[in-house]
Parts: sequence; structure tokens; C-alpha cells
Amino acid sequence: MTEPYLAFDGVTKRFGALDVVGQPFDLTVARNEFIVFLGPSGCGKTTLMRMVGGLDTPTGGDIRLEGVPVGGPDHRRGMVFQSYSSFPWLTVAENVLFGMRYRTDLTEQQKRARRDHYLDLVGLYEFSDAYPNKVSGGMRQRVAIARTLAAGSEVLLMDEPFGALDAQRREKLQVELRGIQRRDTKTVVFVTHDVEEAVFLADRVIVFSKRPARLVADIDVTAQLGAERPLELRDSPEFFRLRNAVLKLLREAAGDDE
Amino acid sequence: MSEAPPSMAANPAGRSAPAPRRTSRPSSLWAFRGALSRRMQAAVGVGTSLLLLLAWEAAARAGLVNSTFLPSPVAVLNAMLLMVQKQNLLWHAGVSTLRVWTAFALAAAMAVPVGILMSSYRVVGAALEPIIDFIRYLPVPALVPLSIIWFGVGESTKLYLLWLGTFFQLVLLVADDMRRVPQEYVEIAYTLGARTPQVLRDVAFRAMLPGLVDNLRITLGWCWTYLIIAEIVAADSGIGFVIWTARRYMKTPEVMAGVVVIGIIGLVTDQLLRAAHRRAFRYL
Repeated sequence: MTEPYLAFDGVTKRFGALDVVGQPFDLTVARNEFIVFLGPSGCGKTTLMRMVGGLDTPTGGDIRLEGVPVGGPDHRRGMVFQSYSSFPWLTVAENVLFGMRYRTDLTEQQKRARRDHYLDLVGLYEFSDAYPNKVSGGMRQRVAIARTLAAGSEVLLMDEPFGALDAQRREKLQVELRGIQRRDTKTVVFVTHDVEEAVFLADRVIVFSKRPARLVADIDVTAQLGAERPLELRDSPEFFRLRNAVLKLLREAAGDDE
Repeated sequence: MSEAPPSMAANPAGRSAPAPRRTSRPSSLWAFRGALSRRMQAAVGVGTSLLLLLAWEAAARAGLVNSTFLPSPVAVLNAMLLMVQKQNLLWHAGVSTLRVWTAFALAAAMAVPVGILMSSYRVVGAALEPIIDFIRYLPVPALVPLSIIWFGVGESTKLYLLWLGTFFQLVLLVADDMRRVPQEYVEIAYTLGARTPQVLRDVAFRAMLPGLVDNLRITLGWCWTYLIIAEIVAADSGIGFVIWTARRYMKTPEVMAGVVVIGIIGLVTDQLLRAAHRRAFRYL
């Protein structure tokens, strides 16, 4: 059997007396797969994603990227947060350039070329010289995505990146992100508690129970909806059916104690 | 909960919308938490100060107060001009400013790294916080005898007293500034391949800088408030010395002139630093 691209192997996590991931968690992710972790707030899905980034370490088991256990953070696994996702003291272009600040293998010229390429990709070239406080929340998230891509991340770790945006911006960015992921062929681990967002974006949706996190379902969305995700997909009966099925799973997983 | 209020009701296209209700009228000076243009703010500030001066002058001229206790603004101004000519007031002001800035620079140079370390490494914070909190609450005047024993009555005692009043306050403020840097910034830097010294320098320090500069400005003001205490100790120069000498002869206008000079220096410094802050941190 060949080694999977990204593998969770018997991962558990405790913070002191708190079981965050109780049962050993196993999951394999193929290269260029878009994985969404869906679960109730505070269930431990974010912790699992952070462990991929090297920002938390598993209590038991390990996480392997191309067969190598992940250690501390590095530029191959980039994070996009919901808030404070870009540095306010740097312009949009400087933020993207900052993504490559610690890459010693790139020349200054290469860095500038990559900066411009990714600024263009996320449609922010004309806002290059603006400071983040002068652009919209959606643009700030695009800055973060461009920065992470420019850094050369192969795995994008996204922690509810669109959670603070209004519905329209969120939809737009979802379409864009899916497009970027397909074109740039990136592996994405995306955490959300929004069912529609999960189904729209994911190749596979992983549904978690409430804490301690336990895998409840592993749903192959691409097998049912295909890999192309135009905005109109949201209005199709197949999308609705799948969304409702996942919502039902999530409700059962969350329990009724809220 | 039977009906939504009218403003919340759906408003289908075609029907005329009700006029939007304004929550704040920009024209009103008294709108709760309302806006005020910078020009207007300056005008109100200057106006209030002038009004106070006029009232004070009027009270003095009308003989409502004993001029030994509260001389009129004009008398204070006259005293000040005379002191500039005869007593080298500006030189004394310079000496005091130099003392304050020297002590403040020393305090800042020590408080910034210590404060950053306290927030960056819990163990440093745990070790230092009780000591700093203890000393922070000691009144500086209570430490005058001790500092004379340690440093004598020369320049170093004065600097030490000023430093004492500043360092322990500043270090905790710096630690707070660092603590407030969002963890996201730090983690972004790590996932971009930064090492801890780089995270500190390129991200955490940069993120805390606006708050730090603000706190430096505020503690510089506090440093001035200890000047008199520092310059009472066997001084032969500085505004504190001038004020203390004038007091001995009950020259109230001169005492007040000295106090006003400190106030003016403070006001000017503060405004300059604020302007520099606005300029340096345009992105805020």
C-alpha cells in the first residue's frame, strides 16, 4: 500500500484534564483534496487542524505528511485565520511579500514576481498599496490566502476563514477559493460549523461529534456533486438533499443538550 | 413578540421606503458619543482654557482672592518673564528636561525588554510580577532617604528617583502591550517559517509598537510629576529648585510660574508625540 499524502494515525489530544480528541482519530487525505472538518463549536476539530500545522502537538498517535511525521510549523503548511489574518502595519502587497520573508531559497526578484502573481490571482493587484484597514473583510481574507499561497504552502489550513463575512462576500469567496484550489492544486483542510459552506467547498466532509471529537461521518461530496462548484450549484436539488442529510448528521452528532 | 417593529418589516421594492431614521445628528455637539471635528476639538480646548484664565484674572482683579495665595495670571506671566531675564529660567527648564529625558530613557531602555520578556516567557513574568507590583506601590517620596544613603545628594539621586517613578509603572504597561498582541499574528509568522527571535522582532514587536509608543508618552508625563521631589534633594538647578526656592520667600507668582513652565513643557511634548504617533501609525 502506498503512503497517503496526509495521514492522521491514532491521534488523541488532551489539554490537562480536558479530553479534546478522546478516541484515536484516523484519517487519510489524498494530495489536492479539499477536506472540510464540520462539527459543533468547541468540538476539537480546530485542534486537529492546528496539529497538522504544527501549532499543537498530539498527545498520542501522529500526523504524517508524505510519510514524515509533522514537527513544528513551517511554510509548507500555511494557516488562514478568521480574524487578525493579515498584518495591519503592512500594505496588501507587503503582506503577501511577507509570506516569503523566511524563504532563503528565493531571490528578491522571484519573491516580487510571486507576490504580483498571487495578488493578481486573488484580484487584489489594484489594492497593492492599501493598508488592510482600508479594504473590506473579504479582501483581508484574500490577502491572507494570497500570502499563504505565495509562501509556497502545499497544505492550506483554514480556521473558519469566512466566518466573519456577510453572506454575499462569503459565497463569492467560497467560489473563488474552490477555483484557486483546483487551479493551483492545493490540499486544503478547512474548519467550519456552517453546513452549506462545508458541502459547497468540500471534496470530503468529515463530521465530528461534540467534544471529545469523534469521527461521525466521512462524506464523499465530489462523488455526489462533482468537482466543479459553480455558484448555481447551491440552488440544485442534489445540493439541497446532501446539505439536509449532512445537517441531520450534524444535529445527531451535536446531541440535544443545547 | 407579536409583530416586528415597522423599521424591521420587509420593504418590498416599489413601495416607498420610510425616511431612514438618523441615530446621530452630526450637527449636535451633545450627541451621546458623537463625532467632533479636529478643528472644533482644538477650538473648544483653547476656548475653555482661555475662559478659565479670564475668570481667574477677573477674580484676582476684583479682589476676591488673596494675591499671596492666588496671584493673577498676568502677575504670574510677569514673574515668568522676569525669571527668564534674571534667573535663567530657561536654563533651569533645560536642566530639568534633560534630567527627565535621561531618567526616562534609562527607564524605557530597561522596561521595554523586561516587559517583553515578562509576557513572552511566563516564568519571567511569574518571577518578576510580585516584586514589581510591590515596588510600584511604594510612594517615591518615601524612598528619598534611602536613595540619599545609596547615591548621595548628587545628580544620580535625582535620576534614580525619576527612574524609580517610571520604570516599575512602564514595565507592566509594556508587558500588557505584548500580552495583547493577537496569538494569530504569532502563529501566522511561525507557519511562514519564522523562528522565535524573528517572530518577536518582525511581528510581535511590530504589532505592539503603537500601544508601546502611547504608553511611553503617558509615562513620560508621570516622570515629570516626580521632578519636584527629585529636585528638592539638595539641588541647585532645575525647575523644582526654582519653585522650592521661591516658596521659601513666599513668592507665589514665581512658584506658579515654575509650575506653569512644567505644564507648558508637558503640553507641547505630549502634542508633538501624539502628532508623531499619528504620522508613524497611519495604518491604524
